[in-house]
Amino acid sequence: MTGSAPVGAGAGTPVGAPPAVELRGLVHGYGGPPVLAGIDLDVAVGRVVALHGPNGAGKTTLLRLLATRLRPVRGHARVLGHDVVRQAHDVRTRVATLAVYGGAYGALSGRENLRLGVALRGGGEDPEAVDRALERVGLNAAADHLVRAYSSGMRKRLALARLTLANAPVWLLDEPYAALDEQGQELVDALIAAARDDGRTVLVASHDLPRSLATADAVIEIAGGHLRVMARPTRPPAATTSASTDGESGA
Amino acid sequence: MNDLHAVLWIARKDLLQEARSKAVTVATVFFSAVTLGVLAFAFGENPLLMREGAMGALWVALAFAGVISAAQSWQADLEDGALEALLAWPVPRAAVYLGKLLANWGLMTALGFVLLPLAGGLYGADIGGGAATSAGAGGGGGETAPALVVAVLLGTIAAGTLGFALIAVFYAGLTANLRARESLLPVLMFPVVVPILLAAVRASNALVGSGDLDLAWAWLRLLVGFDLVYAVVCLVLFRFVVEA
Repeated sequence: MTGSAPVGAGAGTPVGAPPAVELRGLVHGYGGPPVLAGIDLDVAVGRVVALHGPNGAGKTTLLRLLATRLRPVRGHARVLGHDVVRQAHDVRTRVATLAVYGGAYGALSGRENLRLGVALRGGGEDPEAVDRALERVGLNAAADHLVRAYSSGMRKRLALARLTLANAPVWLLDEPYAALDEQGQELVDALIAAARDDGRTVLVASHDLPRSLATADAVIEIAGGHLRVMARPTRPPAATTSASTDGESGA
Repeated sequence: MNDLHAVLWIARKDLLQEARSKAVTVATVFFSAVTLGVLAFAFGENPLLMREGAMGALWVALAFAGVISAAQSWQADLEDGALEALLAWPVPRAAVYLGKLLANWGLMTALGFVLLPLAGGLYGADIGGGAATSAGAGGGGGETAPALVVAVLLGTIAAGTLGFALIAVFYAGLTANLRARESLLPVLMFPVVVPILLAAVRASNALVGSGDLDLAWAWLRLLVGFDLVYAVVCLVLFRFVVEA
């Protein structure tokens, strides 16, 4: 079975523009049966797509492939028209990731981690933007504490702050709700909604199906190496979403 | 972004972490001091043997300390997925390598500068005194200022630690994600780093033993040549080390 899931154009998608994410015959594995067994997927610019599936289904693998941290065994993946293997640097300038782990340096403070991220992404020095991001995620009071003293929820909030500072058109979020309290989870929802409003494309791997249904334009299940569109919550401008995958139709 | 800017940010990040944790400083200083002490004890009470072995002992201490330093330099990157995040950013891989190299080289060079007088004192080798010996022996080359000998000696340490750090940071990155990284790192890097160590020991011996600047320059040129070759090779290959 080959999954094929075109997730329709967002309101702001220019005619003829490449999809935000384009997968063709994508295969990846770790020595055993392939985790991704030839998947096809188009996600238009400005859409929020939730990836759902059991542990080991390939959600993180798919996000790491799109973040250029893995190479496809076969097939290809493009982000905004740029191939993740041959144009990896171009892809990295367009993608911001939120990994399961916070990805912060423990011996640096929260503020220093953010400044490092901004500088290495080419954002230059912008202390006010860093302050705003820290405030947005509720870390002002702990901004100058070393990250090694942060709880896992605080580390996740710091990663969210770094995500917002990246100013990338495509967000790849792996388990963004994990380790967060209810307030933190609502913050993630708010950030995703703001990203949609800003015209960003967001792929969210999550086990929280109710939240996925509430926030995403499309929910795609990954299982057995294939994709299946589980549901497409209707929300403006989701009326343009069209998907068909092996006889499954969206909700 | 400006690649040099990225190099400096990554080096700054590593040095800031080290300034706070002091993990590398404590381990390398302690290990080097023990190495120098044990070797001095092994040489016995033969003053000539002690003086002639001083620079060899210094470079043995620096080499072993360098392995610790390089392995530690990637340790912080492996915690909490920090390296994964760093590599997902649009940072040139060469900048990652050069930033880590700069920090590692700085630490090793500082250690070398600290160990030099320690080795001199412990082994009875008069750092810079070889110049007077050479001039007094009527080598025909005129008088060599002790300050010049010390300056070239410091340059030799800087060039030697650069060559060592070029290899150490490269192989430490290569083995960073392996379970057996601590045993694999020295096995992989020492065969490659031997030419650097030999040239550095010879140049240092020429300076401390006899103040023979001509001989020291010859070895130093060779050392810098090795540095350049290793720098080019490591820069070209590093992206294959960290790319998927």
